[in-house]
Amino acid sequence: MTADASDLSLVQRVQRGDKGAFDVLVLKYQHKVVKLVMRYVRNPAEAEDIAQDAFIKAYRALPQFRGDSAFYTWLYRIAINTAKNAVVARDRNPVNFDLDLSDNEESYEMQGRLKDSETPEALVLTDEIRTTVNAAIANLPDDLRTAIVLRELEGLSYEEIAATMDCPVGTVRSRIFRAREAIDGRLREVFEGGLGRAEELG
Amino acid sequence: MSNEELESQLSAMFDDELPATECELLARRLARDEQLRTRWGHYAAIGACIRGQPGVQLETALASKVSAAVKQEATATGVPAVGRQQRRFFNPWVTSIAGFASAAAVAALAILWMRNEGPARLAQNPPPPQPVAASTPVTVAPAPAQQLLAAAQPDPARLGSQPRRQSREPDSYVTPAAASEAPMLVPPTELANYIVAHSVYSGPLTRRNALSALVGGDAAVPQVNVQPAAVKVVTDK
Repeated sequence: MTADASDLSLVQRVQRGDKGAFDVLVLKYQHKVVKLVMRYVRNPAEAEDIAQDAFIKAYRALPQFRGDSAFYTWLYRIAINTAKNAVVARDRNPVNFDLDLSDNEESYEMQGRLKDSETPEALVLTDEIRTTVNAAIANLPDDLRTAIVLRELEGLSYEEIAATMDCPVGTVRSRIFRAREAIDGRLREVFEGGLGRAEELG
Repeated sequence: MSNEELESQLSAMFDDELPATECELLARRLARDEQLRTRWGHYAAIGACIRGQPGVQLETALASKVSAAVKQEATATGVPAVGRQQRRFFNPWVTSIAGFASAAAVAALAILWMRNEGPARLAQNPPPPQPVAASTPVTVAPAPAQQLLAAAQPDPARLGSQPRRQSREPDSYVTPAAASEAPMLVPPTELANYIVAHSVYSGPLTRRNALSALVGGDAAVPQVNVQPAAVKVVTDK
């Protein structure tokens, strides 16, 4: 088995012109990249804009990616540089970011756009997702919960989890998959089935 | 492959724990299957929730914006970046024109160097006098020049009546013997031989100009003491 094989296979597809494969990479790393960028900027909306820039830069530079390092390591560097440059640019042009809080209608709209991801609805939805996931994890059998937490929270490999839980690697793979399916099933019930609390709240 | 097996593979691939060969197949499917991609996005959101990351959404505006921007990139450029780069480097027209230009430049530099540098070096380092014909000075250039020009004229009757030989060797050519052992006279002589040997392929006017220039260059060489019989005409008839 090759380390980073899944990312590499997706990267190779992008390099052959498959844009859908890049969407898959974005879905996988968007949360990590936003969290990384938020070390430099506090505003979540600004962080998302910077993360978006970083992904687009990564897409443009992907033909030069040769797989010498892991894809995320490479993306990490791009995101850090993009964030640093954005901070420098913001400091040079503070007028673009420090909005005048007058009654001017345009300023009001701009302020609303910048805080789009922090609307009360979005915050409630985020909170609802977190609550649902935590509840689903709490309801998991012990072996499944331990496996998924060791993987996602501690970042252990399947082999390390197998050693920790004293079971074969195949069993670890199966446990993690079943844990994810249980949590995802609960998320679907709540947010896609039309009976979720999120919709009731909305 | 059952749905559950496929989703199990998806989970392993998300964790970079799937063998590379299986990754290839699943990556292709994942890039096209919207449902699988949604599940993949949910796996990422679940992980982010467990790690306590803020602002986790199941379907983010960020992913949609990046996807739209990437689509625009492809529309704007027309071809993927990798293909564009390869086409730029392997365009046969560009390659052949560049090669031809390089060869022409090198040839022009070589001719200029031989015409300018040879006589100058000879003037600095005159060759040692020949012991036998030391008392008989001979001007080298004029005599072979006439013969060179005469021999360089193509024989129309022969060219018209006989088929071109397979070896492309001309019927005759003139090789002026070196006036001395000095190496500085060798480049013009070789050049003259080359021009005469390839006289079939060049126009008479061009050939004459080139030979005149060569002869003129040789004439500028200071007189040296050489053996009188050093200049001779060779034909292979």
